[in-house]
Formats: sequence, C-alpha cells, structure tokens
Amino acid sequence: MKWSVIFDALPYLLEAAGTTLWVSLLGMALGQVLGATICIGRVAGGRTLARFGALYVSFFRGVPLLVLLLLVYYLLPFIGIDVPPLVAAIGALGMSSAAYVSEIFRGALYAVPRGQAEAAAALGFPATAIWRRILLPQALRISLPALINELILLLKASSLISVVGVAELTRTGHSFAAATYRQMEIYLTVACIYLIMNLALAAMGGLVERRLARG
Amino acid sequence: MMSQPSLADQPMVQMRGMSKSFGHHAVLRDINLTVERSEVVCLIGPSGSGKSTLLRCINFLETYESGEVRVEGRLVGYTDGPHRRRMGGRALRDIRRGIGMVFQHFNLWPHMTALGNVAEALVRVRGLKQAEANQRALDMLTRVGLTDKANAYPSRLSGGQQQRVAIARSLAMEPRLMLFDEPTSALDPELVGEVLQVMRDLAAEGMTMMVVTHEMGFAASVADRVAFLDEGHIVEYGPPRQVLHESAEPRVRQFLQTYHERNSF
Amino acid sequence: MDWALYLHYGPSLASGFLVTLLCWFAGGAVGIVLGFVVAVLARLPSPPLRWLLRGYVEAVRGTPFLVQLYLLYDGGPAIGLRLEATQTGIVALGIYGSAYFAEIFRGGFNAVPRGQVEAASSLGMTPPAIMRRIRLPVMLVAIVPALTNMMIILSKETVVLSIITVPELMYQMQSMAAETFATFETILAMALLYWLMVELVARLGRSVERRVTAFMTGVA
Repeated sequence: MKWSVIFDALPYLLEAAGTTLWVSLLGMALGQVLGATICIGRVAGGRTLARFGALYVSFFRGVPLLVLLLLVYYLLPFIGIDVPPLVAAIGALGMSSAAYVSEIFRGALYAVPRGQAEAAAALGFPATAIWRRILLPQALRISLPALINELILLLKASSLISVVGVAELTRTGHSFAAATYRQMEIYLTVACIYLIMNLALAAMGGLVERRLARG
Repeated sequence: MMSQPSLADQPMVQMRGMSKSFGHHAVLRDINLTVERSEVVCLIGPSGSGKSTLLRCINFLETYESGEVRVEGRLVGYTDGPHRRRMGGRALRDIRRGIGMVFQHFNLWPHMTALGNVAEALVRVRGLKQAEANQRALDMLTRVGLTDKANAYPSRLSGGQQQRVAIARSLAMEPRLMLFDEPTSALDPELVGEVLQVMRDLAAEGMTMMVVTHEMGFAASVADRVAFLDEGHIVEYGPPRQVLHESAEPRVRQFLQTYHERNSF
Repeated sequence: MDWALYLHYGPSLASGFLVTLLCWFAGGAVGIVLGFVVAVLARLPSPPLRWLLRGYVEAVRGTPFLVQLYLLYDGGPAIGLRLEATQTGIVALGIYGSAYFAEIFRGGFNAVPRGQVEAASSLGMTPPAIMRRIRLPVMLVAIVPALTNMMIILSKETVVLSIITVPELMYQMQSMAAETFATFETILAMALLYWLMVELVARLGRSVERRVTAFMTGVA
C-alpha cells in the first residue's frame, strides 16, 4: 500500500466530494419540488393528472438511472437545447428522485389520520386551509426519515454522472487511479469519503427524527 | 449411591425455595409447591403476580436463579449435583418431551394445516414416519372434536378451534404433565366453553394439569387444589373450597370479591 | 427511424439481453446466499463477529455500487484478483446485494413470532429443526415483498456493469448507438425497453407475493 498517493490525491478528492454533495443537494431540491407537485397532482388532481403522475412514477422508477442520464444528455441537444453536462446530470437526478419522493409524500399523506382532516372539515375549514395547516405539515414530518434516506441514495447515485463528464468524486477518483496505477488505494479512499458523508447524513437524520418525535 | 425412590412415589412437580428475578425486579420469591400425579392445580391471582412465569419455569422457558424445580424427581434446567451448571440442550429437550404446554395465543404454525401442526413434533421429535404421524395426529384431532378441520390452515379456524388444535398438538406427544398458560384469555366468551370442555375431559382421564386461569368456575369445579399468587408469593394453596370461599387472607378475599359479586361461580 | 437497423443488430442485442439476465440471476443468487449467511452469523453470541458483520453491511450500503465495481475490477489485480469483466460484475452485484439481503433476512428473523418458536421448543424440537421447519418458512413469507423489491433494484443495477465493458444489454445498445449515429433514438428505445422489462418483473413479483401469502391471510 502506497499511502503517499492518498495524501497527494486527497485535496482533489475532497474538492470533488464537495461537487458530489452540491450536485446531490441540487438534485434533491429539484426532486422535492417536482415530487411534491406530482404527488399533489395524483392525490388531489383530476383523472388525467393522476394518470400522468402514475405514468411518470412508473417510468422514472422503471428506467435505470444510467439510461436516464444518457437520455437527458442526448435529448437536450436533439431538441435544440444546449446545456453543460452538469445541468443535464442534475436534471436527470432530480427527475428520477421526484418519482420516489412523490411516492414517499403519497404514503405520508395517507398515513395522516383521516379523522384530523374530517374534524377540520366539520369545523368549516376550507380545503386549502386543511391542506396547508393540517395535512402538509404532518405529511412532511412523517416523510422526513424517508427523505433523508433518499438524499443518501442520491449521494450514491450521483457517482453515475461521472459517465457524462462531471468532475465529481467517482470520476476524479477514476482519473487518479488510472494515472497513478494505485487503484486499490485511491478507490478505498473514495469509498471512505462516501461512507463518511453517508454516515454523517444518517446521523443527522437520526437527530432530526428524535427531535420530531419529541415535538 | 442411595437407591432412588420409585417413580410412582414421586410427586409430578416439586418446587422448593424457587426464586426468579428479571434484573433487579424479583418476580417469584421462595416458591414451594407440590403437584401430585393426576392432580389438577389452578394458579390464580392478579396480573403481574408471576403466575405465568412460574408455569414457564417448569419447562424452563423461563430460567430461575435459586431453589429447585423438579419434574418427576428430575431437576429442571440445571445439572443435579454439588455444582450447579446449566443443563445441556439434549437433556432439556428430553424433559420437555414429557411436558405439554398450551399457550394463551395458541402459537399454531401458520404455514401448516391443523394436521400438520399436530403431526410435526411426532415426526421431528419422536422420529415417526409421516404416515404414522398423520394417523396419530388425526386421532388426536378427533379427541378434541376437530376431525373435519384436519386440512384447514390456522388462519381459517376460530380461536376456540385453534386452541383445541394446540391442545391436540401437545397431547400427541403423550405428555405426563400438561401446562396451560391462560388458555382461554384470548378467546371470545362464546368460544371459551369448548376449550374448557376439552380440558375437563383431560382431567377426568387422569392427566396431571397445571392451569393459569381467570376462569374461577373451572377452578372451582375441576381443580383439586388452587394456588393464589400475589407479587411473586404463594399466598394460599389448598382445595378450591378453601381458597375460593373460605380464605382468611385479605388479599385473596379482595381479589375474589369482584368474581363473587358477579356470581361467576 | 430505421427499423432495418434494429434487425441487423438483433443477435448482439439478444446476446446482451442474455448477459443481463445472467448477471442479474447469478448476482442475485450470490447476494441472497451471502446475505443469508451474514444474517445467520450475526445471530451468534459473539460481539466481535457481530461488529465485523455490521461494518461489512454498513460499508457496502454506504458506498456507491460503481465505486465497489471499480474497486473489484481496477483494484482487484493489486491483491491478485484478476477476473473477467462479466465475472467481476456478478461478484460485485453479489456483494452489493448481500448487504441489503442481509438486512432483509435480519428483519425476517425478527418478524417470526416468538410464541411459535416457544411452542416448538416446548415440544422438544432441536434448534436446527426449529430453524428449518418453523423460522425459515414463516420468515420467508414475511420477506417476499422485500426480496422481490431488491431483485428489481439489482436488475436495474446491471446497466452499471456496462461501464466496465460487461457486454450486457446497455453496452450492446450503446455500441449500436455509436455505430449507427442514431444515438438519441437508440437510447430512447433502450429506456422504453428497460421500462417495459422492469414493469413486467414488478408485476410478476406482485403476483408471486400474492400467491405465497395467500394461505397466511386466509384468502383462497
């Protein structure tokens, strides 16, 4: 084991880890917004909206992420939009995540005890208020553990965007490994960095869960 | 070596100075209890008094720390001798083969039919061939009145039927002692009778039985002796008349008051 | 879109499909067996062993599959491991899956109602017999949904193998895309194809779930 290689590579790897984190968060944000929209469309929208939502979820959960990435990457120039690979990557991550997030939200909404919305309706609340004050806040709280888990999954999934040329952690590691021929050391380091990030996220998630359980 | 007293002289169950704790919480304190062959003993008392734990110590589903539990003279759970060591698996299984246990929640195996449940131990533990085991199992099911349900899965049976299958499952092993841990507590009231009837028949046939129960009517009419437990102690132990109607112990009277008021027995 | 093109590439696509199936089933089998072993070993009363196994599961679940794949394929030779791409792919899928399957089996063991085990031991059944006749059957029914779900996840992970040149379906389609310059159409077709396959597998999984759990819930 040649440890010095690791020390040389570390600054670059850590910087790339930052990119990984950043990309994952952006993808998560997109996924949340899109996912929430689809969820609400499926639950409260009309029949066509619900069908479209179901189709979206089926497609973006059924197609492997790598295929999706390439699809987005080649789709945009095909229809005339020219974007840097990073944007395409975040777009693919976000759209894929949205499918899972919308299911998480949907499950959380159904988990809110029915009686609460009924009580509000009996008191004369308008529908929008019931959503805003009763259903959404509780659904959010219920779905938080699953959402943090989704972020962890996104972080791992982001390793795939290396194939479209984004300089995130896996790609940087791959370049270093190929250049130095010390693949084992470099990849172990890369794996450790991912592991630490995920464990930190999981720990934060646990904290958040405990805080919410008390409130 | 001293000659062992013959098996016929031994009480079926003998507990001397038995104590058990869960951590710092003492659940059973200095239990002294004897159950003779063919006796029916009912254990009654408030929740948390240790009745079920006492029963489960007899076949070592619960461990105990001090004192002795002997079944047919044989020490349960530990080796007999100057230094007490935990009994080996084989010896424990050997003891358990002679003891039948019926649980509050039946514990039938959901992936086997009624017949399958009853025959299983005959094949795995007794080593019978499947065909012979099935025949014996069918006889047992007939004995508890469930011949026509032999091929039904537990999920299709009522609670009372499931419990009767459970009794048949234990009976198939021809135990010399049967332990019942609140056998009717999980049943709808209208299903309790069919299970109690099976238990009455067993008692009439001379089976040695220990029953933890809240069914005072059963205790009054079937038991040879009744033990009242409270907070880990046996407060009173004697014939049903003595414990249920003539007890001088305040705790016993207090507990039985609600049953008397409702004219349960 | 030139349909004649797709006909020309038929054999290579078919072979790619078969390689995908091979990697999926072989990897899944390795994963299930390894995961079961890990789950059973984790029940032994040995804290250092449990600690080690816990570390294994956390490490595999906390790192991306691609990194594990690179580690085995590019890093393997450094410790004397020189496997072909497809073999590496199967091993990698197996290891990746094993961590998740181990957790599924762990949950399954915990889901066996204690009372049913007690009934068996009070009848005098030996621990191996109890495991074989009571624990495993009851547990397997409980975890069928989780197992099918994980198998679906593994089927999607097979596409990552194309990165280390395993000649599975995506690899073949990408070659076709590069050679024909009909890149977008090919990739779209690939997306639709995978969508169809996964949807079919998911439906198959659901019907298997229903059949297996039928007698448990009393449904005819």
